[in-house]
Amino acid sequence: MQNMAEGIGLAILALLAIWGAWQVPGASPGDTWAGIVPFAASLALLVLSGVMIATAARANATGPIDHSQSESGTLDILVLFAVALIYQQSFRWFGYVLSTAIVAPVVMYIFGARSWVGLAASVVVCPLVFHILFFVLLGVFPPYGEVFDLLDWLRE
Amino acid sequence: MEIFPALFSVITDPTLLFAIVLAAAVGMIVGATPGLTASAAIAMLLPITFYMPPLFALAFLYVIGKSGRYGGSVAAILFNTPGTAASAATQIDGYPLARAGKAGKAMKVATISSVIGDLMGDIMLVVGVGFIAAIALKLGPPETFAIYFAAFVVIGSVIGKSIVKGLASALLGILVAMVGLDPISSEERYTFGSFDLSNGIGLVPLMIGVFVLGEVFSQLEERKKAKGDIKENESDPTGHTLTYEEYKPCIPHAVRGGFIGAGIGVLPGLGSAIAAFISYGEGKRRAKNSEQWGKGALEGVAAPEAANNAVSGPSMAPLLTLGIPGSTIGAILLGVFLIHGIQVGPTLFLTDKELVYQLFACGMLGILAYGIIGYFGATQVARLILKVPVNVLYPLIFMTAFVASYSARGSMFDVTVMTIAGFVGWLMRKYDFNVAAFVISFVLAKGAEETFRQSLLMSDGGALIFVERPIAAAFLLLGLAAMGFRIRSILKERQVADGGLGDA
Repeated sequence: MQNMAEGIGLAILALLAIWGAWQVPGASPGDTWAGIVPFAASLALLVLSGVMIATAARANATGPIDHSQSESGTLDILVLFAVALIYQQSFRWFGYVLSTAIVAPVVMYIFGARSWVGLAASVVVCPLVFHILFFVLLGVFPPYGEVFDLLDWLRE
Repeated sequence: MEIFPALFSVITDPTLLFAIVLAAAVGMIVGATPGLTASAAIAMLLPITFYMPPLFALAFLYVIGKSGRYGGSVAAILFNTPGTAASAATQIDGYPLARAGKAGKAMKVATISSVIGDLMGDIMLVVGVGFIAAIALKLGPPETFAIYFAAFVVIGSVIGKSIVKGLASALLGILVAMVGLDPISSEERYTFGSFDLSNGIGLVPLMIGVFVLGEVFSQLEERKKAKGDIKENESDPTGHTLTYEEYKPCIPHAVRGGFIGAGIGVLPGLGSAIAAFISYGEGKRRAKNSEQWGKGALEGVAAPEAANNAVSGPSMAPLLTLGIPGSTIGAILLGVFLIHGIQVGPTLFLTDKELVYQLFACGMLGILAYGIIGYFGATQVARLILKVPVNVLYPLIFMTAFVASYSARGSMFDVTVMTIAGFVGWLMRKYDFNVAAFVISFVLAKGAEETFRQSLLMSDGGALIFVERPIAAAFLLLGLAAMGFRIRSILKERQVADGGLGDA
């Protein structure tokens, strides 16, 4: 069943890629079509997804369904991914320092840290260390928070 | 001969020497830490190297890659947890030796064999790379495209459990690389009207996402499944020392492993794991004490370790001469070359010959550095790793991934790409797709497209040009033959498995 789902997922991706390649305008005289490689690659992907679906259908018809793939931990990954998405978006809204100060203890908690002192320390230590390393020593210009920027406020 | 002045110039530069020693230590720690890979470390450190001179940046990352391969043996022998896929072969005999109180002896054998294999690989690289570059200069677009095609097929079909998923991973890598403006006609492809997408997907955020954030996701999942803590296997008083008499039977295995690793290293995509297992199998077949292998034979550590590390140098040959990275580390190093404005390929030996040989010299000194650190300090490194709490380490890596991907170009879009690439990388690992094939194909796609379209222009749109030119046809056949052999070996494995079940 899982292989069938993977095959169907891949087929949908391949069809989207074929549609995307088809949107590329035709070549001017004496040139090659800019969509030739994306089109060929997505067509090949469609063929492979067909092979996956056919293999999965044959396996389902002849053998038992494989339930060995463990789903444990998937929920934690989805939570961490949601944190990651919010974290990267919060760079734009609140700059680097405030976002990191909030996210550091959250991620440490997800990874099993339960010392309240450690979690509290991470609020200050993580943004400070990363700020010094990347934005002071390496001279990278820090992302500016559009809504509120703690670093800007501290500097004032 | 160019290597000697290069060695002299590196030895007389104390800052560069310090960077080499630091990289050797970092690579060893990263390789020895279960769940961390040299690729992840290099991807994470890549943005920092933007601020370094090209040789400094390349040498730093190259030595981390070399030392990281060796570091995997520390985890395999001392923790019974291979730090890298290749060191799983070392674990077969390394762990029984450690259980017998000979962990220190096994580590010393692993260190010496790694140094022998790695130096052999580098010497072969130095001797052969100029020759390959001279040939590469004579290749036209059809031949170069055929080499790219062979690389895609080999990378997609040879690594991993499933040929279909491997090839699909390679195709996905190609499709992601197509996002943005077409370099020839400037037509938009897969941009969906987004300005950010019209600049294409950056190599650095993609690599950091797949190798660093993706690994953090995987580690979180592993932690949920893991039972118990990792413990170090300590040596008894006699198990720590290694005499020449004890190492003497290992020498032929280390030398043979060096040749096997170097041979496999030249072929794009095959990598250390295959070399290590072939060398182990070949060593066992030829060994006088083959019954001891698997139960704690020192030769069983020497053979795979030499092969594993011998891959490192020759895997640079297709990267430097053709611009085709043979490994994920090679793909990242290609990014470093491009970031510093250095065009890899056969002309590199005309434009930046001095830099190339200085890089080789740094690699050789890096081997000596990790050899000395490993011989005298492997157990201390293992203890240091055990002291680092995992629930602090991975959150730090998680946050570093974000700031590193931002600092590459100061782009928030890159951070978004990195986040999505991290999740995709985890999904690919979870469902047995091939992450290495995905990334290497992403890197190769642009060059392959360019040579493919140049070839079509040369032939007025006729695809027969790839078959009519003998070298191009040979490489196309090589790719197809590699896939054919892989299908045959998988079918054989299935037959053996079915037979085994039938007997049971």
